[in-house]
Amino acid sequence: MRHRLDIQIGPVAFRIGSAWKAPLDALGRLYAAYPKPADGLADFTVRLEPEKPWRRWLRPSVAIKGDYILPDAAPLALAHGLLAAEMGMNLQMALGQKNYLLLHAATVEKDGRVLIMTGESGAGKSTLAALLGERGWRLMGDEFGLLDMDTGALMPFPRAVSLKNGAIRVMEAEVGADRFGPRLEDTPKGAIRHMRPNDRAIAGMGQGGMPSLLLFPRFGPAEAVRGVGKAEIFMRLTQASTNYVSLGRRGFDALARLVETVPALAIDYPDTDTAVGLVEAFWRERAA
Amino acid sequence: MSGTDGQAGGGQEAGDKGFAPSRRTLLVLGAAAASTVVTVRPALAQTAGSVMNCEIPVPGPQAGGQYIAADGSLVAPGTAGAAPPLARPLRGEEVKSLLRNGVTPAGTDPTSAQAYANYIRRLQAGMSGFTCYASLTPR
Amino acid sequence: MAGPTYIADDLYELVTVPLDGLSLVYHEPSGATHIVAPPAPEILEALMEGPADATELLRRLHARYEFDGDEVIHVRLGELEEAGLVRRA
Repeated sequence: MRHRLDIQIGPVAFRIGSAWKAPLDALGRLYAAYPKPADGLADFTVRLEPEKPWRRWLRPSVAIKGDYILPDAAPLALAHGLLAAEMGMNLQMALGQKNYLLLHAATVEKDGRVLIMTGESGAGKSTLAALLGERGWRLMGDEFGLLDMDTGALMPFPRAVSLKNGAIRVMEAEVGADRFGPRLEDTPKGAIRHMRPNDRAIAGMGQGGMPSLLLFPRFGPAEAVRGVGKAEIFMRLTQASTNYVSLGRRGFDALARLVETVPALAIDYPDTDTAVGLVEAFWRERAA
Repeated sequence: MSGTDGQAGGGQEAGDKGFAPSRRTLLVLGAAAASTVVTVRPALAQTAGSVMNCEIPVPGPQAGGQYIAADGSLVAPGTAGAAPPLARPLRGEEVKSLLRNGVTPAGTDPTSAQAYANYIRRLQAGMSGFTCYASLTPR
Repeated sequence: MAGPTYIADDLYELVTVPLDGLSLVYHEPSGATHIVAPPAPEILEALMEGPADATELLRRLHARYEFDGDEVIHVRLGELEEAGLVRRA
């Protein structure tokens, strides 16, 4: 491909190729502090291609291709090329990752132990994780939790945090402007802005940790806390994992062990400050 | 296989010299309508929003101009009461709103919305738009 | 009529994890994972003694457990068959 960028994120090396320069320039700025893959070898390739050959110039339309693709995926406008690159990386992980059990979860670390937050998209776990990452925790990832099936540890995968709509303002108030990519309007998901993880998260991208607490956070009118039955947790985690079924016995053993050993709570929160407060309170309780 | 110890109702008492226990544990067979075996299915739904910006053509390109009956099946063009093919594919978000809340997609006729919804619900693997539909609906 | 004879002959290839009164079951031959509630584990264990039709299965279960509503056993066996955990001889 005409343009190329290689990035190492946690244990995964990506090669992103693009027919256009602009998306890779934006991606390169966001991941400027990240290492290049050792030996220049990539685990996954993403390619941003014109939907049709003439769409490279005429109303440019970016199709997300790579080692793994999804049929029915609609192309994006070139102005959203950075989003296309990020979605492409997500897609490779979702369909191709075999070394780790993937959980659709945000993970943060404190005192060597890991908090896993999982649930429906839009529940605010990315924002929560990003906030915690600026308030004494280390952000390990906001989209994918990587469970090491041999050790039971969560490994970091600190991608740029994808903030949507209201969450953008929340984080803009929290960190400096140099931490953000461009604001993308009118994407299929509304307004999006990417925030790069801080230096602590990037420096720690090789350091995993054992999980200590599992939370299912959800926006609700009032603060509420509920226990969750273990069989239900197991089921919800399988539905939050794109590769559980393909990992067979190893995936079963690892997920069963996670559910058996890690306590879980469902929390409703009316605003992010309440959520952060709840998290800190449970963490102190857990550590005691 | 490790069996469970059954439900509440006392444990088994071993009789003397290995006789059969005098009390059996309670077992609940469950209601006929209940489900006691749930199988884990492959999942893409929760991450779909982050991996795919998808569309569903209504109907798919193989339909060749056919119209859509109220129950979502394909019928001859111009059939009375049937909805015409949509000029543009529906985006994932529009499909979600249509299926969950009955929201008519922009630029389409409200009286046809139900037909389009039922067409989408009847999509099978291999048909255009199926992956998109599967990613939008949990389980 | 006793109906078909059921077999659960790859019970030794089941990995079971009890959780809160339910059980997680991984079935090696198919790679499928199931979450099962009583009486599914008890039925599978009873079939370990060898193939059985519904009548024989009920006899084995009545020897160990106290219950009524025998006819529901057919629904339970149907579920296990659909999940691939038992099959017909």
